[in-house]
Amino acid sequence: MRNPTFFAAAIGAAAAVFIVAALIGNDYLFFAGYTVVQYIVLAAAWNMLGGYCGYVNFGTAAFFALGAYTTVFFHKAYPLPIPVLLVIAAGVSGLVGLGTGYLTLRLRGAFFSIATLALAVVLQTFVVNWDYVGGSRGAYVIRPDSVDVFGFQLDYVRYLSLIMLLLAAVSVAISRAIERSKLGYGFATIRDDELAAEASGVPTLRLKLIATTLSGALMGMAGAPFPYYIGYVEPASTFGLTYAVNAIAMPLIGGTTVWFGPLIGSILLGTLTQIATVTISSAVNLLLVGLLLVGFVIVAPNGLVGLIREFLRAASPGRPDVRSIGLVAVASYGFIVGVLEVVFSLAALTAPDATGLMLAFAGLVLACLWIVSAYGMMTLQRWSPLMATIAFALSIVVGAIHIWADRTAFNISLWGAGGAVAIVSLWFLQRRYVQQLYRPKLTELEVAA
Amino acid sequence: MSALLQVSGLGKRFGGFVALDGIDLEVAEGERLGLIGPNGSGKSTLVNCLCGTLANEHGTVTFEGRVLNGMPAHTRTRLGLARSFQLPRPFGSMSVADNLKVPLLYAVDRRAHGHLTAAQTEERCEELLRLVGLVDCARKFPRDLTQVDMRKLELARAMAAEPKLLIADEAMAGLSHSEVSDIVALLIRLNERGTTVILIEHIMRAVMHFSQRLVVLVSGRKIADGKPEEVIRDPEVERAYLGQ
Repeated sequence: MRNPTFFAAAIGAAAAVFIVAALIGNDYLFFAGYTVVQYIVLAAAWNMLGGYCGYVNFGTAAFFALGAYTTVFFHKAYPLPIPVLLVIAAGVSGLVGLGTGYLTLRLRGAFFSIATLALAVVLQTFVVNWDYVGGSRGAYVIRPDSVDVFGFQLDYVRYLSLIMLLLAAVSVAISRAIERSKLGYGFATIRDDELAAEASGVPTLRLKLIATTLSGALMGMAGAPFPYYIGYVEPASTFGLTYAVNAIAMPLIGGTTVWFGPLIGSILLGTLTQIATVTISSAVNLLLVGLLLVGFVIVAPNGLVGLIREFLRAASPGRPDVRSIGLVAVASYGFIVGVLEVVFSLAALTAPDATGLMLAFAGLVLACLWIVSAYGMMTLQRWSPLMATIAFALSIVVGAIHIWADRTAFNISLWGAGGAVAIVSLWFLQRRYVQQLYRPKLTELEVAA
Repeated sequence: MSALLQVSGLGKRFGGFVALDGIDLEVAEGERLGLIGPNGSGKSTLVNCLCGTLANEHGTVTFEGRVLNGMPAHTRTRLGLARSFQLPRPFGSMSVADNLKVPLLYAVDRRAHGHLTAAQTEERCEELLRLVGLVDCARKFPRDLTQVDMRKLELARAMAAEPKLLIADEAMAGLSHSEVSDIVALLIRLNERGTTVILIEHIMRAVMHFSQRLVVLVSGRKIADGKPEEVIRDPEVERAYLGQ
């Protein structure tokens, strides 16, 4: 797809999501959805420098807060409409990005990351001591009830969500455009080998400055509507570790080298943390993110996208075919449901009665089985089909026990669906043409026999 | 023949160690120059100073009448001064074909003032792959290549910048007899198309076959410069190589 077409499609998708959400009509959906979409922007922005160029930025919160405090400043000095604030925040954060980049990009690896962390500390100290924007006690930003958009009266939270959705569409489109352009090639050479890049005529310093500026500007834009959304901003949380950690974890879990990696990662992780906030507590968020991050770094260092690509390369060296894509679909389902199951089981653990504990335990076992079988299916070269089959077969047994222990109508239908998927997966795994995907392993076994 | 590259009084030290000590060197357009010297004699440091990877402390490097001092490496590549690395440094996340596209996009296209179309880039990339014999590997990743192919890729990437002067830094180390001949033939073919080549090499057979002129570096000094047959009979060169 050409860039303008993709851009139009992305905007269209954003508008469609908004319309569907508006038809559902739940205010909480907008409130939670805003955070998820905000992370799409942050993850895409982080990935331009961290994923494409290989420079790990720990200062996401600094750029985000810069955008937020630009809004606070103008809210007090001269209230402006949000789209204008977005442009100003982009300018301010972009300039700071450029300046930081110029000062720090001669540092490599961990030293660059430490410098970005220092930037966050410096900016936070600056804001804490700046009384006009509230200092350390914070500032209230009262949002209007509704806003007039082309003659429509729109609820303000919905209006902010719409803006954030459009911003997400723009940042994803920019990521994709960069990836397929000359600039994208240049960024990748910086990530791979800067010395060789220079020798091939790539002006590395200039490209890195472009990346920091662009990345900083988008992070600032993500932060600009934030004060209106949250109503009260104070330095400690606006500069919080959560933004930095999430902005790194999301692209890493999704996959850093392609534009849809951060998109997948942020939707998955963003939704997960929102669910965990409601069902368990907001403090568990970061723990979940941390555990997933550690898991992925060990098991799939190139993220979900890397895992799937590796699988497709191993399973069908030519073009991806129906059976391998079918396996990917089944594995992804097992993985996502497994992760969600962990979250819901943890929620059950917060109310510890005998049935609850047993349900939670069964749920955790089931979740592990699903995740493990999903992983097993994705790494065919190392796993025999037997292992994935056993994992799925066990999940049916555990699922049945689960239903028996907790016989409410809702759970029966839920677990019934899960069991059905496990049975279909089992049948699928035993098909001859799927078994052939494991051929290297099978022939090895035959030779041994 | 006019001098394409002129080096005068080039000096570089690392702390107290003098790596290059007043090197004077001229390379004429269209020449095939061999550069030899024992390990640690400063050959790679010289290449790094010529190409801008390291900054020289004394002396000047002049390329086509332009003084290069202080100029970053990528600008030198764009001017037409390309090098290959002693240990291949491919872009690991890109396919072989994409590796070659980088200099085409960033050096050649720049020289053509952005007039290089996507089709032309593909075409030149294809041509280069054919020239070095990597057509079958175009879609492979560098990690899947053999050592020979990796060295060919390294050389091809330097060639892709369409340089006026190509510096091949030990492009043949560790290769077999016939593979060395392949690469020497490739470099000679490149030279016949008008590219000046400096070959840095330990394999004497290759150097003697390739070079029109031979320069010897020992401990950061140039001790000989002349016709290959005469240079290797020079008593000072014999002493440096064989010891006495």
